[in-house]
Amino acid sequence: MITAGVDVGLMNTKIVILRDKEVAAQRTKQSGGGGRGETVKEIWQDALKDAGIKPKDISKVVATGTGKKDVSFADKTVVEAVAAARAARFLYPESTSVVDAGADMTHVVTLGEGNTIREVVMNQKCMNGLGLVIEVMADRLGLTLDEISALAPAQGKTNPVNDGCPVFAELDALGLLNIGVDRREVAGAVTDAVVVRLSSILNDKIRPQKDTTVFIGGLAKNLAVTERLKERSGIHFLIPENAEYGGALGAAVIATDM
Amino acid sequence: MTGEFRKWPEFSWLSDTDTWKSAEKITAGIDIGTTSSQAAVFADDELFGYASIHTGADFTLAANTVIAKALASSALSVGDIGTIAATGFGRRNVLYATKTQDEISCIAKGARFIYGPAVTTVLDMGGQTTKAILLHEWDRVREFEVSDKCATGMGRHIETAAEILRVPLTEMGDRSLETENDPEPVSTTCFNFAYSEMMSLFREGYKEDMYKENEVIASYLFAVAWRILGTVGKLAPLDIGDIKIKEVLGFTGGLAKNKGITKRIERELNITAIEGKHDPQLAAAIGAALLA
Repeated sequence: MITAGVDVGLMNTKIVILRDKEVAAQRTKQSGGGGRGETVKEIWQDALKDAGIKPKDISKVVATGTGKKDVSFADKTVVEAVAAARAARFLYPESTSVVDAGADMTHVVTLGEGNTIREVVMNQKCMNGLGLVIEVMADRLGLTLDEISALAPAQGKTNPVNDGCPVFAELDALGLLNIGVDRREVAGAVTDAVVVRLSSILNDKIRPQKDTTVFIGGLAKNLAVTERLKERSGIHFLIPENAEYGGALGAAVIATDM
Repeated sequence: MTGEFRKWPEFSWLSDTDTWKSAEKITAGIDIGTTSSQAAVFADDELFGYASIHTGADFTLAANTVIAKALASSALSVGDIGTIAATGFGRRNVLYATKTQDEISCIAKGARFIYGPAVTTVLDMGGQTTKAILLHEWDRVREFEVSDKCATGMGRHIETAAEILRVPLTEMGDRSLETENDPEPVSTTCFNFAYSEMMSLFREGYKEDMYKENEVIASYLFAVAWRILGTVGKLAPLDIGDIKIKEVLGFTGGLAKNKGITKRIERELNITAIEGKHDPQLAAAIGAALLA
């Protein structure tokens, strides 16, 4: 049985094709804008080519993510939290919670028995787009996301920025640049602000299990974020190798039930 | 994020005369903003050259680059300039400046140079702050208001919005005006809320319908215009005595070039802003040079 999951995010679209519950192909491409539907079709063709199959070979396609309605060929759409929960269960059967943090939204899902969900907590309005905050800052500072990921956990501790509101965080970061603070240190400070927000969703509201919490989404690929978050929250996350494909994988797994 | 959509064109100009050789006084104004940096050079109160660039992460580098661009191929060097006034968010990074000047006086002075003596109200909309200035007679600042902290960084956020929507920044204004009926603005309370609301509109998906994309831009830019109007509203009643705001409003700053914002402000205030003879983004740099 071949199924596919399409996760249309704010910044990137991800596709996973599963053959008998084994990943046959995975693809990602930058998405966004009015042409989002077209981008999805392009990656779809590439992913099919990678897997060496034709569209008719695929039994079901499930879409998720911010732009799930733009997937014209999907048989079903599911919300991000549901896809994240299934991905976590699929990758780590013993997992109890999953954190899905990307460019746009952050979801923390507490898993129930089997494939059920006990609780979903989303980010507060003021910290929408944590991944975007880091992307904008990287663009501004002329650093790549890999360079930010490689920042040592200690960088940015001396000159903090506001961690309550991204608008102020950005303003503070510019203030630091203005007084000649090194741009890597500024990037570290912004990363810390993002970590404080993530940690507040985790520890103030949910208190997930320390050793059975999965972390997926684009931010899970950023070592500067994950290492600092581990340190701050005390949670030893289970991070899959292709964390950014979490949502798409969950959607593909859901498609196998249909 | 590739940065290809948020880019606006950098520009520079240099007089083809060499009047500076006989000039008694050469001055320069450098405006280092959070998003863009400008330099203007004057020879005996005559505009000689200017430049506008992206500020980037290094303010000192921006300060050095912008003056080099303004002087470009001329034989003039920084050392030949008598006084150099620095203004803007990053003014302390203009290491070659002989003095610093506050933004308000610079904008007022620059607006009078660009728009002539008729202008009485100046609305400066930049990457970081919005300033509304009421002028009194020649170059005197009667009153001014600065945007509150929750409306900060509008120019910068529009750049990010361009990236998310994948619409070139320079086209956003025109496209927002192509809608048949202007949609309601997204949240105007806090700038970040406007931003998340725009993302929610975007989240609903708009398939191949280009018209709806323009509506999202319109709704977003309307919210920006609304916040700017809030700053104008804090000024004393606009029609005082014989000073009529009509015909005498001038826009300055980078956002003055975004018609999606200026047209909406004009519509809400029921006025038409006057046309200037120079790029409105240069106002603060020109003012600084004149005050130097």
